[in-house]
Amino acid sequence: MEKTKSRIVGVRVNKDQEAMLSELQKRAKMTKSEILLQGLETLAEYYTLGPEQEPMETALRRMEKDALHHMMSLKKIRRKEEAIRDFVREIRAVDEIIDKHGCDKSMLIQIMLDVQKQNNWLSKPALLWISERLGVPMAQIMRIATFYTAFSLEPQGRHMVQVCTGTACHVRGAEELLTRMQGVIKVAPGETDDEQKFTLKTVNCLGCCAMGPVITVDGDYYSNPNVEQLKQMGEKYE
Amino acid sequence: MNKLTSVQDLNALRAKLVADRNAIKKSVSVCLGTGCRAYPSAAVADAFAEQVKKHGLEKDIVIRRTGCHGFCERGPMAMIFPEKICYFQIKVEDVPEIVERSLVNDEVVDRLLFEDEATGKRIAQQHEIPFYKLQNQIVLGNNILIDPKSIDDYIALGGYSALAKALSDMDPVGVLQEVKKADLRGRGGGGFPAGIKWETTRNAPGEPKYVIVNADEGDPGAYMDQAVLEGNPHSVLEGLILGAYAMGSTQGFVYVRQEYPQATQHIGIAIEEAKKYGLLGDKILGSDFNFEVMIHQGAGAFVSGESSALMTAIEGMVGEPRPKYVRTAVKGVYERPSNLNNVETWANVPLIINNGSDWFRSMGTDGSKGTKIFSLVGKVKYTGLVEVPMGLSLRQIIFDMGGGIRGGKKFKAVQTGGPSGGCIPEQYLDTPVDFDELSKMGSMMGSGGMIVMDENTCMVDVAKYFTSFLADESCGKCVPCREGLRQLKRILKKITDGNGEETDLQLIEELGGFMHDASLCALGQTATNPVMSTFKYFKDEYEAHVKDKKCPSCVCQALTTFYIDPEKCTACGMCFKQCPTDAILGDKKVVHIIEQEKCIKCGTCFNVCPTRFSAVVKIPGTTAPAPVPFGTKAKKSSKGDK
Amino acid sequence: MKDVTFKIDGSDVSVAEGTTLLEAAKSIGIQIPTLCHHQDVESAGVCRFCMVEVKKGNRTRLVASCVYPAEQGIEVQTDTEKINSVRKMILELLLPVAASGPIKALAKKYGIEKSRFEVAKEEQTHCTLCGICVRYCDQVTQEHVAGFVGRGVKRKVALMAEKGDQCVFCQKCYDLCHGGRFIEIAEGFPEIL
Repeated sequence: MEKTKSRIVGVRVNKDQEAMLSELQKRAKMTKSEILLQGLETLAEYYTLGPEQEPMETALRRMEKDALHHMMSLKKIRRKEEAIRDFVREIRAVDEIIDKHGCDKSMLIQIMLDVQKQNNWLSKPALLWISERLGVPMAQIMRIATFYTAFSLEPQGRHMVQVCTGTACHVRGAEELLTRMQGVIKVAPGETDDEQKFTLKTVNCLGCCAMGPVITVDGDYYSNPNVEQLKQMGEKYE
Repeated sequence: MNKLTSVQDLNALRAKLVADRNAIKKSVSVCLGTGCRAYPSAAVADAFAEQVKKHGLEKDIVIRRTGCHGFCERGPMAMIFPEKICYFQIKVEDVPEIVERSLVNDEVVDRLLFEDEATGKRIAQQHEIPFYKLQNQIVLGNNILIDPKSIDDYIALGGYSALAKALSDMDPVGVLQEVKKADLRGRGGGGFPAGIKWETTRNAPGEPKYVIVNADEGDPGAYMDQAVLEGNPHSVLEGLILGAYAMGSTQGFVYVRQEYPQATQHIGIAIEEAKKYGLLGDKILGSDFNFEVMIHQGAGAFVSGESSALMTAIEGMVGEPRPKYVRTAVKGVYERPSNLNNVETWANVPLIINNGSDWFRSMGTDGSKGTKIFSLVGKVKYTGLVEVPMGLSLRQIIFDMGGGIRGGKKFKAVQTGGPSGGCIPEQYLDTPVDFDELSKMGSMMGSGGMIVMDENTCMVDVAKYFTSFLADESCGKCVPCREGLRQLKRILKKITDGNGEETDLQLIEELGGFMHDASLCALGQTATNPVMSTFKYFKDEYEAHVKDKKCPSCVCQALTTFYIDPEKCTACGMCFKQCPTDAILGDKKVVHIIEQEKCIKCGTCFNVCPTRFSAVVKIPGTTAPAPVPFGTKAKKSSKGDK
Repeated sequence: MKDVTFKIDGSDVSVAEGTTLLEAAKSIGIQIPTLCHHQDVESAGVCRFCMVEVKKGNRTRLVASCVYPAEQGIEVQTDTEKINSVRKMILELLLPVAASGPIKALAKKYGIEKSRFEVAKEEQTHCTLCGICVRYCDQVTQEHVAGFVGRGVKRKVALMAEKGDQCVFCQKCYDLCHGGRFIEIAEGFPEIL
């Protein structure tokens, strides 16, 4: 088998598989000459920003590398062009959030909260983008991302399980409930299971003290579930 | 929604809304505060809507999904108007009957009324229920009457009349003076006179001035602000607008903790609605007063509720406290004068403007005027939120209103003031609750959390709990707090693990004084209060842990032993089957025995032993009585069991 | 700019409004010891080593002199028994975490040979978290490479990766570190995210 450069990102495929995947994709909507002309126009636009910018080719190569690396870290199999388009989509969504908050530095934490909510985590490219657009050093962004418990620098599970460990729940047995929970969904507090189904976190007071000890799963509240009920819950959420 | 361009517009709107409201003969308010969402309260509310529709009465009967009614123990709950009948622990299956009998007709469904334990009587009216009797719900009371997402409900009940009064009859200084005269002290824990803070902000140089609502309620077990912000967001907003008017501020912030999504949503809706009515924005009610409000969410850090930290977060930087030698009222957000007050403090302002400072001063004690909302939680029978005039005693709150200790156990202590506060033992139950009295006992009133503890609570464990909490939440920038809490946590763990030494107790005292003197912010300065207060009143428990290696309350696993009482064991085998380490020796009809070397103290046997046998007991200490010989016959279980 | 007059250790001193007590003391020859202070960067007030006793009216309290602004009529004491015990405790708490040459020497000067406290092996970071390196990188070289991450005892200094390889290698962080963190590392960066 000849060694050709694969255009599939994320996993090794053989020639037949690659041919099949290619068949499934629509053809490019533009011809080579149209794309090149459009590229030249974009290059001219970039030059109008002034001579101090890093060369466009370097910036693009760097971002392409980021895009492919990002898709691989998400374990998504994509053709190169899809990987880059997905990446652009994700970054544009972050852009929208930044614009919604008026591209205002004082809204940095609010922007990060919205991105976290949308993607369930804060990816490096998303943070670099925020740093770029807001003009805020990456050090400040990482400071915030690691200081607050609402943020996660790794992909989280599809479902967020929070066990309340506030004082009222503590005296009513929150620690034992936490142990029970760990036993059933097999995750340690602060971590996500291998299938990315559940992330388990402790939280200091949900404000439901009459129900204590209480847990929430995706915003649904449960009061002192026993092992049976926890097992049922494990099944209910996919 | 038309913009209100004058006070007359507002009055005309109110008149119309009141007429509309009065035209409705019957209504029901279902509690959908966050605390009740853990019950199927949403399903109950849906059932009400469905049933009313079935009867074809959607136009005649209003169903209000309201904020917290306070009696969280007994949800799902609803109140029927105009009779004001309170129904508790409503199941979805009960709703058709309630609608049929109490809404369509005028009957009472007795079995859903509160039953007074002492007399066996059923009570229909809220103010006759012991939980509510001593309350004076000037702030919380309107929760039950309004849909928090409706500004019209708020206006119909007189909302924004204080603002109208201020803009037409009072000048900014007049508003400030009224608040100052009322002696309103901050409800967030600090107890600083709000009027004086307002004055400092007003007189400080610099523009723009900022006014801020601190809704970062971080004390675990305290959820008063959640109830106010969720249930009556406009009351807080109106207070904020009045404050802005008084201080000359044009920009306000509401900082809500991220763990309160419903409160965030409701205040967001309130701000949008107020804007539409012209109660926010430019030329409010036709005056030349402009004011905007923005919401900032927290992201999960207790320390960000500290005022200088909160202001730093509003600037978009990480919310850590700053050395605060210049008051934030003078130099706060962006070094401008910034007035920060708690949710409950702001909610009191429209009441003071409408009813006057004399009215406010008629409630409470000499040093603490007005009312305070407390969250009564923990081992108390009736968990919930209560709003009482300052000066009621702990005994009245915990026993008369809270019904005493649940499960027939004995009261041990009440923890007040959150992680900055302390534990108060039985002998001080008659202490009146206000800003100053509890501080004399080594605790503080704080934001209003009251965690009730019983004989099964280990006070050393409580100290360890609070220390761990603070160690987690410390920002870590200053040495005393970061390193002090690191060591305190380590020492307390050492003690509860059974390795405590006498010198440990001395180190704790030394660290306490040091952290109080040298920490950068109040978190570090008050971090040892929980430890020191439990030390003061429960020294015997500490000594039991350190000297005797026993946990008298049988909470600390390392200092508790599980034992099967041979007199009570009926060989049912439940513990044998479920022990995770196979530490139980047992067989049919013989007394089961725990092999102590294999026991990991998980408590499973204790939890699964049927209550009618209660054969598994917890013994303080690390040794169990000598086991009976294996093969000893077990007592027969009584007839009909198993 | 108004001048304010007050007393330090019994001596009169007059400085411009806004001057910190630390600077004011220095102007009359009193050197208050510090751990997190550096003349090239803004004061942080985090080590609490520079604390002094301030008497204002009839209230006395401890304040961090590197950030406390001079006020008219106050009385400042820079070397009392209380201050000494605070400084000793700070060193005793730092020793298990950051037992570097400079810290050990300072502890000895205050009469501490051995600390009564201990920490687990993984907590011996050799970093006092004074933050001088962070502030220098932020405010002077303005590269924003060094920064804090985490909170509480998990707080540490980190160099941000994608900026890390753009770091100008001024090596100032090495020079400034007295906790021993950077000194202990021979080459490369102590921590990269």
